Amino acid sequence: MAQTLKATSVAEIEALLDETPSQRTSVATHMAWVPPEWVDAAERVLHGLGPRIPSRTILLHPDPKAKRDGLDASIEHERFPGEDTSVCVEIVRLWLRGATVKAPASVVVPLQIPDLPVFLRWRGRPPFGRTELEQLVGVSDRLIVDSAEWRGLPRAYERLAELFDRIAASDLAWARTLPWRAGLADLWPGVRKARTLEVTGPRAEALLLTGWLRSRLRRDLRLRHEEAGRIERVAVDGERVRPQHARPASPADLLSDQLEQYGRDPVYEAAVRAV
Amino acid sequence: MATETASRSGDAALANPLREGLRLLRTPEPCVLVIFGASGDLTRRKLFPAIYSLAVRGLLPERFAIVGVARTEETDASFRASMKDAVRSFGRDKLDEKVWKRVASGMRYVSTDFADEGGEDALMELLARVDEERGTEGNRFFYLAVPPSAISVLVERVGSRRDEWKGWTRLIVEKPFGFDRESARRLNAEIGRHFEEREIYRIDHYLGKETVQNMLALRFANGIFEPIWNRQFVDHVEITVAESIGIEGRAAFYEQAGAIRDVFQNHLLQLVALTAMEPPVDFTSESVRNEKVKVLRAMHTPSAKHVVRGQYGRGYIDGQLVPAYREEPGIADDSTTETFVAAKLYVDNWRWADTPFYVRTGKRMPKRETTIAIEFQRAPHPPFAEQAGDDLRPNVLIVHIQPNEGVSLAIGAKVPGQGMTLRTVNMDFLYGGAFRTELPEAYERLILDALLGDATLFTRADEVDEQWALVDAIVSAWRRDHPAFPNYEAGTWGPVAADELLRRDGREWRRR
Repeated sequence: MAQTLKATSVAEIEALLDETPSQRTSVATHMAWVPPEWVDAAERVLHGLGPRIPSRTILLHPDPKAKRDGLDASIEHERFPGEDTSVCVEIVRLWLRGATVKAPASVVVPLQIPDLPVFLRWRGRPPFGRTELEQLVGVSDRLIVDSAEWRGLPRAYERLAELFDRIAASDLAWARTLPWRAGLADLWPGVRKARTLEVTGPRAEALLLTGWLRSRLRRDLRLRHEEAGRIERVAVDGERVRPQHARPASPADLLSDQLEQYGRDPVYEAAVRAV
Repeated sequence: MATETASRSGDAALANPLREGLRLLRTPEPCVLVIFGASGDLTRRKLFPAIYSLAVRGLLPERFAIVGVARTEETDASFRASMKDAVRSFGRDKLDEKVWKRVASGMRYVSTDFADEGGEDALMELLARVDEERGTEGNRFFYLAVPPSAISVLVERVGSRRDEWKGWTRLIVEKPFGFDRESARRLNAEIGRHFEEREIYRIDHYLGKETVQNMLALRFANGIFEPIWNRQFVDHVEITVAESIGIEGRAAFYEQAGAIRDVFQNHLLQLVALTAMEPPVDFTSESVRNEKVKVLRAMHTPSAKHVVRGQYGRGYIDGQLVPAYREEPGIADDSTTETFVAAKLYVDNWRWADTPFYVRTGKRMPKRETTIAIEFQRAPHPPFAEQAGDDLRPNVLIVHIQPNEGVSLAIGAKVPGQGMTLRTVNMDFLYGGAFRTELPEAYERLILDALLGDATLFTRADEVDEQWALVDAIVSAWRRDHPAFPNYEAGTWGPVAADELLRRDGREWRRR
């Protein structure tokens, strides 16, 4: 049962969170920046995550056009009973009204679980250079994006790369290319002098695969791209690539995997820089 | 989920830059899994459910086949049907027809008796055919799910035909590995005639349990424990492997084995080794097993007064009267087979000198429980000893292995309110409460590791040898006396003498 708090304060939210129903184990704080157009998708993924990552999830809903400044909240403790013990997941939904949108760090820092990693899932294209992103990057350990949700590719990758020295980054679009990267790796050494990569799939995945091959092979190669909802075909110099270990991964599976990774991914960073 | 990154295997990454950083599920090379004893209980209850669960998670190679071998007359179709039923009954994953179809398409069955001249011919012919049909490249993985008496013949017959396939060969041997040191050495020699040590995987399913592996993580990934994991800070170690069940119809086996060969020689000594071992230089199979062997070598034979054996009489389990061991079907009414063993062991090395390891295992105990408890020394001068609400216990770190997997730490804490009253409280970390990923069955992990060629969690010949050396020494002392059995009631924690074992040292078994 969710508890709703109108025009509330961080202290009041903290107090409610302390009334946790039972002792529990947490492994992370998972924050998500969720503009209105992404709410449904975010809730679906959250539901799909279920009890896999026992964490405090803080969903931040920006509402800059609100007539008043302030904070509304709802707090939910979701318990997943198991055979031997139950997992407890806390879900805090925060609506940042008016000018509060510009001060999200001041709201979330007191609510983060101390000493545990903080993941920031940014729905849609992050507003590079803007206060809300800068602040939240400053209080998180890992930024998780899905560049397939972005407009303005490939230029947006340049802006993302500017963040690499400040925060570890994950990209769900990159994660979706894994079976194809493994397939391309299987073609080594035949692909050593590859000149053209053909990809039928989302633009983000096509660009990332190209950037990856460029950076790994240390040579330029041309991309021929045909748009599709998911990667359907990859070929290098005309030779089709067979995806390896291809298991259909749901958005929740992909996010769950990212929530278990901590350090920087230099291969991804190099791929982004080579796009 | 097990993943590997090529950056960990640096050579491969250097050779193929595209492999660097690829986080892939570990999947084995194409191969045929040959299960000897395919009509047996182990295959039905453990092996097939585990294989199916690996298939569900996409962890089996694409080019894979399973050949069941047994004397029982069956066809491929009836074998498939029987194993499908086994997966339904004993698997942790719900049966998915699509996945099962994939597994079943590679299943074959051979009915043969290896004791007959040329009994292996049909199998060899089938394996050659399977290689062609399934593309398994001549890689053979033999699983000996058979009684110890059948192993020698199988090994000899299979081993003598090794030149008929070109790929790699691996052999999984189930416990018990021998009956004593001499028979284990004989068996090792027989297997060694045809297979190299690196091809032999002696299975002890305890090592496949998550918490047993977590023992290594707990000790060697946490800076706070290792500095105090020694004789200076640890008062004693207590390891319990308790079962509430009886012998479950295994009278013939149990009469031969007893608790000392069934559990003490393998599971219990493995737990001692993992608790006491030095940090390995890396997590390769040789490094880990080298350190375990050192512990086993450093253990001296306990004197007779430091070993207690017992046998259960009638008693109550879960409110039900259960029969005495001697009343179980197939057990002689004057049997002196032990169903309980407790011992005080010492690991004579720099780290553990004079630190007792109290271990016990038994059947028909009040509950099923496997734990390792590290009891630390008391605070040297607690200023508030008189205010302790109960007899404030020393700190105890408990590694729970089954049924609940996790770790607990007992610490003293102040009771809220006036004054300074202290109580012992437990901080619990249970796997089920932190990681909702279902824990894989031990057999899943071990079969996958063997398919991948990783022997870290399997027992090496010299480990087995050291284990038997200790057991032989204990058993030889037993031959000289006639125990007054039964000496503990079913549903209790063993004979009074087991309590005395600790009481003499001013200690007692942990309360449960």
